[in-house]
Amino acid sequence: MTADFAQPTSKAADSGHRFDPTRRWAAHLKLGLAHREENGQGVTRLVTRQHQGPLRVQRPFYPEGRDGCCHVYLLHPPGGLVSGDALHIEAELAPHAHALLTTPAANKLYKADSHGVHWSQTTALKVAPGATLEWLPQDTIAFDGSRGQQSTEIALQGDARCLGWEVLVLGRQAGDLPFVQGQLDQRFALTRDDRPLWHERQLMEPQHPRFKGHWGQGSASVQATLWCVGLSAPDQAINTLREALPASPRWAVSHRQGVLLLRYLGHDRNEAWSLCLQAWCCLRPLWLGLPAQIPRIWLT
Amino acid sequence: MNTVTRMNTVTMNTLMNDDLALLGLLQLVSPALPIGAFAWSQGLESAFELGWVEDANDLTSWLEGVLNDGLARCELPVLARMRQAWAEQDQDRLQYWNDWLLASRETAELYDEDIRLGAALQRLLKSLSLAPTDGPTPPSYVGLFAWTADQRHISTRPMLLGFAWAWLENQLAVACKALPLGHTAAQQIIEQLRPSLTQAVDLALSLPDDQLGPMLPGLALGSAQHETQYSRLFRS
Repeated sequence: MTADFAQPTSKAADSGHRFDPTRRWAAHLKLGLAHREENGQGVTRLVTRQHQGPLRVQRPFYPEGRDGCCHVYLLHPPGGLVSGDALHIEAELAPHAHALLTTPAANKLYKADSHGVHWSQTTALKVAPGATLEWLPQDTIAFDGSRGQQSTEIALQGDARCLGWEVLVLGRQAGDLPFVQGQLDQRFALTRDDRPLWHERQLMEPQHPRFKGHWGQGSASVQATLWCVGLSAPDQAINTLREALPASPRWAVSHRQGVLLLRYLGHDRNEAWSLCLQAWCCLRPLWLGLPAQIPRIWLT
Repeated sequence: MNTVTRMNTVTMNTLMNDDLALLGLLQLVSPALPIGAFAWSQGLESAFELGWVEDANDLTSWLEGVLNDGLARCELPVLARMRQAWAEQDQDRLQYWNDWLLASRETAELYDEDIRLGAALQRLLKSLSLAPTDGPTPPSYVGLFAWTADQRHISTRPMLLGFAWAWLENQLAVACKALPLGHTAAQQIIEQLRPSLTQAVDLALSLPDDQLGPMLPGLALGSAQHETQYSRLFRS
């Protein structure tokens, strides 16, 4: 990975006007959230906010009250990744912090340049004992011909809790521009106290038999995965989801090793998004004893 | 002892060891091994129910896909790594790969299958005075398969071929019961997939650690659907 983050050295490279196969434009964001006692109230504060390149956060919101979950919006003004982009997001929650991280818009993965240069996006989330992280980015749209690697690593410690999702749309649905070439390498790893609980890898190559084969992607142009760790009554949670969400061969839910996993494979971005949203609304009361509070940025 | 006699003795011993290793492998991959493997379909029954696999051609594609995108990237390379770790008595690595394998099980049923077959194989090995005194927890089927191969001096490549063979036979037995598929048609699929088994082993032995991991989102979805399937013959 070191080479991927190598900094351009020439002046032309600094300006970004470089289109050779080795160019890299790096952006980093590092967030730290901590639980503080203030005037007899426990408050989650954004205590670390370091960035380099076009990745920012807005001032946090407290729509659930000052002692409630801290909502943070991650901003990436370019709105998408082009060849050579290397985004790295880190967030660390200290003991007993509670944060919801989301984005104001879909993340776009643009078509690779004429050199076929890859982009990369890595996300590393650390959650300390007693802390709760909700990782709810808006969907990711991969344009035809996009090439890159996306990796999400979540490290839980002790009884840390985490719920998150990834909604991926292949091709542009509105313009009828399907994903017929390119390559997306998507990885997830979830650990507790350094022991793996769940990991997964998807290599999406439209020409490969697994892209159409039912054991693999089954030609699905939209896929979603939702995970939830820290449910005290997982069987009840599963039953609630099966009763509340519209039955369909396109999604299913299971629970193993303390991780609830809901998956969707289909063709409808809105169906996938509303499935995840409904699941979160069903789970949050069972999981945290709190009603779901829709981040207002999703409504704009 | 003259040289010729000594060479003959060495050759005889080698042959004897090879013979015992081969018999050990045949015993380990036999459908008669009483660990209850016949009760598990690894998502195949769900593929029938969902209409993804309706005939022998669909089945051949499905099996080839699961072999290349599943076994060759998950069970087989982990088997090779765990066998070596058993041979070196490296308990940390055994635990690492056991955890890794279980973390790649996407659904409750796929996870249970490993654990329950592992527990059954552990009981069987105990009754044969072959069980390990130490090892990763919870014991997985793959981990104990690797242990048994090491104990029986089965080399890595035959061990992987044997594991893949047992998987294929078991999947075809599922299809014969549930699709249904004729027994001759099942043998025809074996004829067709024999080269794929050796290619899967080649791939498994060539992949570095960071390229491992099954890529079977459809199978995972089907397996999770199986939990609520109305009528079912198999536990996965």
